[in-house]
Amino acid sequence: MKDGLAGIFARLAASRQAHERDAERLEFVDALETVAQAIVSWAEKCAGEARQLAGSAGEGESKARLEKLAAALERVPLHPAGSFYEAVLSIYVTYSFVPDSLGTLDRYLLPFYEKDMAEGKLTRDEATAYLQELFLMLQGRMKPDDVRFHRGGESHFCVGGYTADGEDGFTDLSRLIVEAMLELPTWVPQLSLRWTAKTPREVLRYMMDRERHDANKRIAFVNDEPRIRALMQIVGLPFEQAVRYTMLGCNELALPGGIMMGSAMENILLCVERTVYGRAAELPACRTYDEFYAVFRQELHRLMEEIVQYEDAFNLARARDVNLVSSLFLEGCIENAQSVTRGGCTRAIAQPIFIGISNVIDSLSVIRQFVYEEKQCTMAELLEALRCNWEGHEDLRTLISKKARFFGNHDALSDGIARQLTSDIYAELKDHKSVFGYSFLVGNLIGYNQHNKWFGSGTRATPDGRHDADMIQFGIGQSEGKDRSGLTPLLASIATCDPNGILCGSSVTNVMLDQKLIRDDELFEKTVLMMETYFRQGGIHFQLNYVSPEELKETRLCPQKYKSLRVRVSGFSDYFVALDGDLQDEIVTRTEHAQ
Amino acid sequence: MQRTNDGSAMIFDVQHNSFVDGPGIRTTVFFKGCNLRCQWCHNPESQAMEPQLLFDAEKCTGCGKCREVCPQHLKSCTLCGQCALYCPGDARSLCGEKISVQALLEQIEQDRAYYEASGGGVTFSGGECLLQPGALGALLRGCRERGISTAVDTAGAVSWETLEAILPDTDLFLYDIKCISNGRHRQFTGAGNAVILQNYQRLLSAGKAVWVRVPLVEGFNTDEEELAALCAFLRAHPPQRVEALPYHRLGERKYRALGADMAQHTFPVMEQERAEELKKRFREST
Ligand code: SF4
Ligand code: SF4
Repeated sequence: MKDGLAGIFARLAASRQAHERDAERLEFVDALETVAQAIVSWAEKCAGEARQLAGSAGEGESKARLEKLAAALERVPLHPAGSFYEAVLSIYVTYSFVPDSLGTLDRYLLPFYEKDMAEGKLTRDEATAYLQELFLMLQGRMKPDDVRFHRGGESHFCVGGYTADGEDGFTDLSRLIVEAMLELPTWVPQLSLRWTAKTPREVLRYMMDRERHDANKRIAFVNDEPRIRALMQIVGLPFEQAVRYTMLGCNELALPGGIMMGSAMENILLCVERTVYGRAAELPACRTYDEFYAVFRQELHRLMEEIVQYEDAFNLARARDVNLVSSLFLEGCIENAQSVTRGGCTRAIAQPIFIGISNVIDSLSVIRQFVYEEKQCTMAELLEALRCNWEGHEDLRTLISKKARFFGNHDALSDGIARQLTSDIYAELKDHKSVFGYSFLVGNLIGYNQHNKWFGSGTRATPDGRHDADMIQFGIGQSEGKDRSGLTPLLASIATCDPNGILCGSSVTNVMLDQKLIRDDELFEKTVLMMETYFRQGGIHFQLNYVSPEELKETRLCPQKYKSLRVRVSGFSDYFVALDGDLQDEIVTRTEHAQ
Repeated sequence: MQRTNDGSAMIFDVQHNSFVDGPGIRTTVFFKGCNLRCQWCHNPESQAMEPQLLFDAEKCTGCGKCREVCPQHLKSCTLCGQCALYCPGDARSLCGEKISVQALLEQIEQDRAYYEASGGGVTFSGGECLLQPGALGALLRGCRERGISTAVDTAGAVSWETLEAILPDTDLFLYDIKCISNGRHRQFTGAGNAVILQNYQRLLSAGKAVWVRVPLVEGFNTDEEELAALCAFLRAHPPQRVEALPYHRLGERKYRALGADMAQHTFPVMEQERAEELKKRFREST
């Protein structure tokens, strides 16, 4: 938008000179140029079509509009955009080549918006109309019979967040973008508010208010504070670059012009399984929890090494392929004359996603509490119970389900274990770089592919009371009633377990709220303050569901009646009736518990 | 009456992030034991001073575990709690636990950030928390020392001296006024309301902030005569705020779990529209 494709051609030419002795790289640069040419030709073709249509249209508004379109297409995306209209149009045209996310829309459109508004060249209504065209194109990219059509887990972008000068970036344009999107009866795109410690309460309230009234559930919330810290500390970005991050897909973290490499889903509960089964012979000899933890720590180390290797293997497999289209727009690929899939991009994060973190914390907590602190059972007894999949040891399992100091209750024991675990994961990964030299930033999100179910089905019984093959938990949030003390202790546990921003990758916290809060403004106001406090305490993400368990149960009995009920699942939202039965069950349990 | 002065209180629940027990986001501590017996009470397990064993037949799978673990063979229960601990179906639970003032203060302290952001604090409720004045006083003082705002939710059927003792450390009273007719009050709650109304007026004269809560129960206080009397009384002695709370049936299951006779505790549930209308009438009564 700033340099136009003309700028890209210039960079391609420079790169060709720099790599003139490297035939393979030159071939790649040539290919990129062909792609860039194709985009230009396409825009020209569209411009011609618009001219022709304008010619055959009678005098009037639509003729004028077509002429404006043709004139603009003759400029962008080849040349830098000269107006808000042209800026939106160049996204429209090039989006098909980088089909990921609109990124930080309110930020890069702002100079165009402010200039045109100040010069009287643009009205709010016009700006809204242009943006809506863009949003409709995004929805239109999905086929109606694609599961993603109404899932909303695609084309995620952000508004607000820190600007390079350290101020909160939520502007009049941000608000206009939100209004423009919500006015459409679409599911795609969806957006997150990037909250900062400087975000006015009025802005958070506004966004939460729009969210509670949006039947299509398109708004979520992320916290800039821990995430920017993690991007600086773990990825090593300077502040001005860290503030450019965006969310895309379900809830993945990304850097504009950069890429998230790998994103392998990992079952982290494996390290518990390997400890309690694979190392079972050594465990009864551990006299203290610390001795036990040392064994576990070795398994954690082994798993982390495997994960790094796996990430590399995954990336190397992908490197067999060359990406021509995205490489054109990603930072460094042109200069390095190298495909993004082969590490050409200079700005990237490896973002493995760990599923089952809460199960690990809970399993360790149970061992510490039951075996070492309260001595309710011996290690041998616990291991035997696991081996039998709790059969014949139901009493112990009942006791654990009732008395264990599970994660999410702001309990010193499990919170301490959570801190230790996340610190150790951080320590394991901080000196590792992926095969292309990128840093690791861990997340805990599960995509919509139900890894929690698949991973669970291959994992044996664990000390937190799971049976063989039971689902494991996704995200870090309300689950199965283990958080017994209510929402604030849960949020406090989440917020304090994360000293090194280890969960600052793709991260999800689902919050179930009583439906009353939608209607009652006084109660709603308290919800706003609660979520603001959660962010002040360091929470990284939240998304809200307003439902009653009665309603959800009804839904299962007569799905027809509740066709339009939407819920947030991991990072996306979908119609409840369209979800898989197990996911429906899980949501019902979560909701019942929230009451 | 049991007086707990030993630095602990008989509690049946602690609820974090409560939005409905006073201003802001609050932690509500429910004391066990009450001296009234309101027929519509939705927390019947809060009435007795002693711990109680609840049994929810709907959840019982008939596994027989309770019989196996009970040292009394399920006769003449000593409230040891073993059966509740091992019941796999959550059918049995022990309600009521002595918790030290110190431990409660620590729990309350946890949500300080939420109180500060929202103008909230702690609410001591019940049951009737004023039946354990020693522990309540210690808790209120502890909160005062920690700068945590306090509210006391009471039915007011206690001596004025009991109330007076906690005035300095209580920022807000949530005060139940159920009906004006003394006879009817006695019939439905087991006690007259003279002391209650008198204490209420004294709280106002003492300059305390009071929010009045009126349960709306069809067949008890929603006839025109009673409504008019309530509104007139509140107009004559206006509190800071009035909240009318329509009766709901969420308590029914608990009555059954306590083995109580349901017929006595079932009231009709008010139509939504009528409930809204009455709530509005009370909001505007002062
Ligand atoms: S242990 Fe629980 S579920 Fe089993 S018979 Fe006793 S009450 Fe019923
Ligand atoms: S509480 Fe103890 S004594 Fe009472 S029924 Fe249960 S196990 Fe028996």
